[in-house]
Amino acid sequence: MAYQLADFPFLTTLLLCCIAGLLAILATPAKHTQAIKIVSAVFSGLTLVISIYLFIAYDQQAGGYQFVERVAWIPALGIAYFNGVDGFALPMLLLTGIVFFTAVLTCWEMELRVKEFFALVFLLVTGVFGLFMSLDLFFIFVWFDVSLFPMYLLIAIWGSTRKEYGAMKLTLYLLAGSALILPAIVYLVVHSGAMTFDLLVLMEGDRFTPAQQRIAFFLLYIGFGILAGVFPFHTWSPVGHVAAPTAVSMIHAGVLMKIGAFGILRVGIFLCPEGWQYWAPLMAVLATCGIVYGTFVGLNQTDLKYVIGYSSVAHMGIVGLGLSTMTIDGLNGAVFQMFAHGIMTALFFSSVGYIYDRTHTKAIAELGGLSRIMPRATTFFILAALTGIGVPCLASFWGELVVFMSCVRVYPVAGALAIGALAVGALFMLRVVQKTCYGPPLKKFAGLKDITAALAVPRIILASVIVLLGLFPGLLFDMINTATMQLIGLR
Amino acid sequence: MNWILLTPELTVLLAAALFLVLACLKPDPRRDYQLAVTMAAFAVAAATACATMSGDLFNHVYRVDLFSQVFKALLAIGFFLVIFLCDDFQGVAPSHHGEGYFLLAVCTLSMMMLASAVHLLAIVLALELSSYSLYILVFLRQEHRWGMITGLRYFLVGASASAIMLFGLAIIYGVTGAVHIDMLIQQLPAMMGHPMAVTGLLLTLAGFFFKLAVFPFHFWAPEAYQGAPNQVAAFIAAVSKVAAVAILLRMISMAQGNSDQLARGLIAMAVISMTVGNLAAIAQRDFKRLMAFSSVAHAGYLLLGMLCMTPAGYGAAMFYGAAVLIMKYTCFMVMTRVADDGRNLQIDELAGLHRRSPLLALALMMALFSLAGIPPTIGFVGKLMIFVAAMQKGYLVLVLVAMANVVVSLYYYLLVLKAAYLDEPAQVLPSISLTMPARLVAVAMIALIVGLGFYPTTLLDLVQAAVLRLP
Repeated sequence: MAYQLADFPFLTTLLLCCIAGLLAILATPAKHTQAIKIVSAVFSGLTLVISIYLFIAYDQQAGGYQFVERVAWIPALGIAYFNGVDGFALPMLLLTGIVFFTAVLTCWEMELRVKEFFALVFLLVTGVFGLFMSLDLFFIFVWFDVSLFPMYLLIAIWGSTRKEYGAMKLTLYLLAGSALILPAIVYLVVHSGAMTFDLLVLMEGDRFTPAQQRIAFFLLYIGFGILAGVFPFHTWSPVGHVAAPTAVSMIHAGVLMKIGAFGILRVGIFLCPEGWQYWAPLMAVLATCGIVYGTFVGLNQTDLKYVIGYSSVAHMGIVGLGLSTMTIDGLNGAVFQMFAHGIMTALFFSSVGYIYDRTHTKAIAELGGLSRIMPRATTFFILAALTGIGVPCLASFWGELVVFMSCVRVYPVAGALAIGALAVGALFMLRVVQKTCYGPPLKKFAGLKDITAALAVPRIILASVIVLLGLFPGLLFDMINTATMQLIGLR
Repeated sequence: MNWILLTPELTVLLAAALFLVLACLKPDPRRDYQLAVTMAAFAVAAATACATMSGDLFNHVYRVDLFSQVFKALLAIGFFLVIFLCDDFQGVAPSHHGEGYFLLAVCTLSMMMLASAVHLLAIVLALELSSYSLYILVFLRQEHRWGMITGLRYFLVGASASAIMLFGLAIIYGVTGAVHIDMLIQQLPAMMGHPMAVTGLLLTLAGFFFKLAVFPFHFWAPEAYQGAPNQVAAFIAAVSKVAAVAILLRMISMAQGNSDQLARGLIAMAVISMTVGNLAAIAQRDFKRLMAFSSVAHAGYLLLGMLCMTPAGYGAAMFYGAAVLIMKYTCFMVMTRVADDGRNLQIDELAGLHRRSPLLALALMMALFSLAGIPPTIGFVGKLMIFVAAMQKGYLVLVLVAMANVVVSLYYYLLVLKAAYLDEPAQVLPSISLTMPARLVAVAMIALIVGLGFYPTTLLDLVQAAVLRLP
């Protein structure tokens, strides 16, 4: 596939920003916590600026892969440091930039082992950025694992509620996923007859027989699917989300789960289109199960973070459903939903984190009347809840709408079930909002402060993105469409 | 006869002689240590300087080529690193330090010979010499309770393995009438359909499997590690594995890949080794025992590379051998520094390490991730190469089994990591002070683990050129 090398290595600069931030944090003495936070904010802000620039500077008319960089890395194995972004990758980079920056700002008040915390977060995000921009299977796998292994420490040290159990479960599940991905990648590389890890070269022509594609796609689907919270491999996700500290929950649910879905798309669907076709019904079934199951189990939760955790399972099910339709609309909707859910869930965790830090409880039954006590904080919470329900003019609505439209055409039964489940879920979510935010204000919370202007900044950023995309979904759809058309056109 | 070819061996021999003299003098730990480190550094210099030499010595009994020289360089580096760790050779009585250094040198020398030997008798000689020096090294443990029992067990299992190996060699000789590897290479491949030849080769390999701690020859490992002084355990876990890889590559490559029976036998051993090692490691509370079982599992991964019987597989195994040297050494380095009085370290005792010494904690974390095969570390590249080689032979299921094992292993590595980073010690422990050289080595180890994980090209090219010397 033709592509043009970039004049300036923007993508590498983006990665270097993360690494420079990491080094700067390591160089700062641990006792200067404020300095560490400022350094983190500056470098994460830089990544956000670069990712916005890339999003704007991408030439949608030309399409294809842009800002490409390529350096031979391990020639003996056909591995290259090969970066490039298309309409699928750019929204993900932007999402990562936004969530990263806002997550850093969200944990401005944190005090425990600050240096290590931010260092690990930077390491994690380096992996995420790297994965979204990489076009070499070796590096995709490397970045995948780089973004996973800091999670263990992040949850186990800074988490709450059964944190060690949650951290271990999450790590083992996700690395079990990578244990399927690596053999699949090696399998594809070895059978390509070209001994290269170059994604674009592997995509050319019919390199793989249908049987090979089925094997590889299945492994990739399950492997990446574990991270994407695909039913029935989702059980790590609510537990991990609940155990994780706020900023990590934001990054994790907001960005990391998207890596899973992105991996299915970038590696699975790109390389094994026939495997995709073969397994699409299974994907649809599992995605529908995830939506129905996530919604109904969510109904039963008494812990706010569990509610969000299960709603993530359901929302990632919508992404899976979109991918399984094998249509342009389905793919567009799935990627849009990835973005929208990332922002929405980041806002969700961010506002719940604030409430938890003040009230020291996540139990729905113990909360009530918060909108009187902290009106600004609850506004963000309610906005996130409404987005999650799929209220029109908020971002998620468009993703869900497009996915369901194409799904009803391809899999009518699955579509009907999913829509029905979401309707029930919406009722329930409203009840959670009602219980926690409305009603008479509780005396024990009377003295709590509302969110300050400084702490509101990250939440305002997230909320405005949601509203902006709700009003102008074309900003994102046009971008995604360039990549989708190319992918479908190719096949 | 070209004596220059023997420079690495002669340097180590000289070192051994010097240490023997030291052992007879009045013990002075400081002086002994400094001399030992100097000699070991010379050995590294000699081995790297001679890395590209080649030639035949002693009537073609001894072959110097890139394959053997790369292994010798690795052995010399391992020798240096272990000697370096002996700065307060706790666990061995001060009066025996000289003997300790002497035996380490002799063992290194014999393992270097093992890498070059191409005559069956020479191989046996070198192998026995290295085994016997290790048996005595284990006995050197100051607390006799450990040293005696485990040393004796180690010796008995080792002697049995040797006997099995000799039996196998006798069968091979009986079938082919050859004792030189070059002759065997010509004769064996044609006979690999013959059950006697396969049996003979497998029995012969038993002796080397013992060194590598492959199931079912691994039973000595946990006890020997636990009973040996910490530095000696590091030597067994890191350095002796390199020699075992060298000789196994020589022996397995003799069959030249046309034996399904041999491959099947090796597959079974590899799978069982991985599984047994990893499952048993989960239950361990003692750091050295855990490392021992993880060695058994790694023996399985190494074997997976070898049993492909392709240059890619041999190269992968060689690369992974180097990786094991670095990773295992780093783990043992951390353990030796934490257990500074030479005791056996329980995993719980790592608690609070991240505060007592952030550098050691980081080194341990990188080494553990590397052992678990998580990128970007040298252990990951090694596993990737092994999997690529295995996949080229069509062993998809085998790769999946190996990966499943990797996930299991991750569990217990994470438990160790948890102890070092999360758990708080019962009482406040002082921070661990490291000398400047010790810091440098720790940083160098981290740099090697990550650096070779990110940019392995140089080492990869080297091992791939080296294994071309194999048939």
